[in-house]
Amino acid sequence: MSKTKEIGANHYEILFIVPNNFTEEEAKKISENTEEMIKKAGGEISYQEYWGKKKLAYEIKSFNHGYYNLFEFDLEGEKLAELDRKLKLSSDILRHQIINRKKRSQKEIEEEKNRQEKSAKKDKEEEEKTDKKEKVVEKKEESEKKEEKKEEKKEEKKEEKKEEKKEDLKDLDEKLEGILDSSDLL
Amino acid sequence: MSQKKVKECFFCVNQLEVDYKDVRTLRRFMNFYMKILPGKRTGTCAWHQRKLATAVKRARVMALVSSTHK
Repeated sequence: MSKTKEIGANHYEILFIVPNNFTEEEAKKISENTEEMIKKAGGEISYQEYWGKKKLAYEIKSFNHGYYNLFEFDLEGEKLAELDRKLKLSSDILRHQIINRKKRSQKEIEEEKNRQEKSAKKDKEEEEKTDKKEKVVEKKEESEKKEEKKEEKKEEKKEEKKEEKKEDLKDLDEKLEGILDSSDLL
Repeated sequence: MSQKKVKECFFCVNQLEVDYKDVRTLRRFMNFYMKILPGKRTGTCAWHQRKLATAVKRARVMALVSSTHK
């Protein structure tokens, strides 16, 4: 690591969240506006990514969802503070973070994309596996129930009722989350 | 005395850079309560452990990872 700072532009990466009270089109417009803001400040955008609507890990200003946008750009260090201040003041952006980053070549970008795709595939496969396992377990439970029925009918009924109640609650939770995920709460 | 297995640093072995956006890999260095696990336990080398800590904190700021479990 050299102690002397490089003269000229530095490479930065910005990630920002547009809150959920905008529609997707409006969110795209906001991202375009910020792009212009960076260009006006004298920055050159080298890489761009749109993650789409994602659930936030925790509530920010009573928002649970947001549109994530990522830019990589070259900018002179002195002008960064002003850009940061502007982004902080704008009410369209829920939160942003600017980070120093090494410049990447095209090859490295492609490699990273491949890696991301692979991890996404793994995620999908694992989800499918867990689904299958759950199904198998359910089947086993059913078969066990049948055996029990022959032996003790009364106790069995009670247990079934309890299980049904639990399942109902689980279903309700899942439905609620689904509704919250899908609907744009204004 | 039985010899302990020598754990290897995940990032050194796979030649990966620590990225705060990659929640999947960050999650394996955190426990149920979303705390950062010590390098002694995960085998991460000191150099990468430092990068990892800042990466987790950055991810927390951007709400990619929660700072506590619900």
